Amino acid sequence: MSRPTHPLLVAVSLAIATTLQAQNAASPDLSDPEVAHVAVTANSIDIDLAKFAQTRTTNGAVKQFAATMITDHSAVNEQAAALAKKLGVTPTDNAVSQSLEIGAKQARQTLEPLHGKAFDRAYMDREVAYHQAVLDAIDKLLIPTTDNAELKQLLTAVRPAVATHLEHAKQVRSELGATPRTGQ
Amino acid sequence: MIAWLLVMLGGLGAQQAAPAPKPRTHSVEIRGMAFEPAVDTVVVGDTIVWVNRDIVPHTATASGHTKWDTGQIRQGQTGRYVATQRGEARYVCSLHPTMHGRLVIR
Repeated sequence: MSRPTHPLLVAVSLAIATTLQAQNAASPDLSDPEVAHVAVTANSIDIDLAKFAQTRTTNGAVKQFAATMITDHSAVNEQAAALAKKLGVTPTDNAVSQSLEIGAKQARQTLEPLHGKAFDRAYMDREVAYHQAVLDAIDKLLIPTTDNAELKQLLTAVRPAVATHLEHAKQVRSELGATPRTGQ
Repeated sequence: MIAWLLVMLGGLGAQQAAPAPKPRTHSVEIRGMAFEPAVDTVVVGDTIVWVNRDIVPHTATASGHTKWDTGQIRQGQTGRYVATQRGEARYVCSLHPTMHGRLVIR
């Protein structure tokens, strides 16, 4: 398979990779409240974009994918909130969460003017890149840096869902066909 | 005479068909975004019970000719289906179409 070339894919991957590198260089450790904040932010971002996609797409598979994102990421956030409450942890904003928010804003700006197949392709490109980036963050940053056993367990339990979303996103994206090349 | 009647009655009893096997209940766990077991062999009349051990909701939804659907099964909850027709019944999770399962119904 060729390397991702869509601007959204590149932007998301770069934003998270840069943040991960910065984190590793400056501070190799996120506190548990910061990990909780990253998890909640990552879920909320995907819920918001899925809600927007539902208002924009007319494609059945894309609509269904967006509905699943809302259902699943909401379920995970409910668990995360319940765990934070149980542990007496207040999720704390941090550089990784901020990077995710900036990436989400950029994605929304890119998707805003698009309609029809162009929107569907760009949204699914974003979802493929986003879930890949979140999966990498879970493996390389969030699970290794978490101290609390229950929070680590929650992240470990969430991982297969994110991996399944990634496969689902790739499947829907492949059904939409290649993005037509514009004149260069 | 009584002995003869008993023999006749006994003979009639023996001619009756063997009772149908009692319907069984089969459990399929949904864990780590997969059906376990992914393939289950059941008999018509058996009940299949899906137990969701994941955080996210799932369904077991027929993808073949016979239509059936457990509806959404939330974490810790169960959904069920009674096998009604012999054959192979493929199913998916309608929320996660990359999750597949299969019932062999005899």
